[in-house]
Amino acid sequence: MKLVRGLATLGASCLAQVLLSRYFPGLSRYCDLFTILVVYYGLTRPQAAAMMMGAGAGLVEDSLVGAILGLNGFKKTLTGYLVGSFGSLFMLNQAIPRFGILFAATLIDPLVELGLTAAMGQSVIVPGMLGLLQRGLGNGVIGLLVFWIAARLP
Amino acid sequence: MAHLLAERKPFLLLLVLLTLNLVLMSSQVRGAGRGSLLEDAILNLCSPFLKSASWVSQGAAATWKSYAGLRGVERENRRLHEEVATLALKAQQVEETRQELDRLRGLLDFRSRVEYRSVPARVLASGAFGAGMTLLLDRGGHEGVERNHPVLTPRGVVGRVIRVEPGISKVQTILDPNSGVAVLIQRTRVQGILVGLAERGCRMEYVSELSNVEVGDVVVTSGLDQIYPKGLLVGVVTAIGEGEGLTRIVDVRPEVDFSRLEEALILLKPEGPPERESR
Repeated sequence: MKLVRGLATLGASCLAQVLLSRYFPGLSRYCDLFTILVVYYGLTRPQAAAMMMGAGAGLVEDSLVGAILGLNGFKKTLTGYLVGSFGSLFMLNQAIPRFGILFAATLIDPLVELGLTAAMGQSVIVPGMLGLLQRGLGNGVIGLLVFWIAARLP
Repeated sequence: MAHLLAERKPFLLLLVLLTLNLVLMSSQVRGAGRGSLLEDAILNLCSPFLKSASWVSQGAAATWKSYAGLRGVERENRRLHEEVATLALKAQQVEETRQELDRLRGLLDFRSRVEYRSVPARVLASGAFGAGMTLLLDRGGHEGVERNHPVLTPRGVVGRVIRVEPGISKVQTILDPNSGVAVLIQRTRVQGILVGLAERGCRMEYVSELSNVEVGDVVVTSGLDQIYPKGLLVGVVTAIGEGEGLTRIVDVRPEVDFSRLEEALILLKPEGPPERESR
């Protein structure tokens, strides 16, 4: 049942991200629903579930954006683990800590990508700081909104 | 242990998931060898085994090739041995032909120097026939050979024809005890009769005790027997002994080697004076 729910959630996130990028391409640039999903799972579910969701969401994202299969899977798995570890250590029920977590998770994403591409001998493109901040803010705000909605779902 | 595993379960799961993702990525990212990183990694991991397998297969192939080569060499060796044997036989035949050619050339040269018509003949058989030392030649009546025709070689007198058949003739050599050749010592012109002693050579008889004869003197035909032309080489004096009465016995070694005689010249000597123009 948990698996079905997880898959359904993942499917819904995927659909939402596709729709967002189609109808609100400007907004989708600052919003990564898969990261938000993984952070949500990390904060509300056991660590293993967060990592599984991270791996699944990352692979789906890789398939969607045409990136190297496994790149986002790696990043999101790591994010799920870190958020899960952090969530098990601290009380992160309030909006501000959650925003901080969402912001940090958004920053982790390009940093890990940077390290991975460098490790694989690929050409490294350092992301712009402003873009990162905008994305972190976007994920934080939209993530809080998603968390609020999710808390009210049955 | 189980407790430790349960505690570390998230971390282990993380490792598994990260590894899976890394493997996935590696399978797509191109490495330095222009293959995917996964391929490169697998290749690097497997290369020692591949090299070993290649080394073993190459070694086996080389061994097999050497073995096959050895078999080939053995066959080749056998073939070459046969070829060498064949060629040796051919070389022997060629050498034989060359020697025969030399002898015949010598015979031809000698024939041109002889004042009579002659016919070359091949020795068919030699040895003791009956009581005498005789030869069989492959020329006979058809070629104009007659009884008492002298037989010579470039080295000296062989004997005379004693029997003639249409294509064959029998020769009594000067070694035959029944033969007699009128001879003389070339240096002092001392005359005598040469008789055969079979394997021991010849003996010059009826030589005066007072005659001047020395060992090493050359003996030639005197022509007085009306068979052999005058001046043909017969042999060399090897020993001088006392004969009956007032005579001496002179041992003569014939110049012709009868044991190796293969060709000879039969002089078609007519009755009367030599036919210079008939050659």
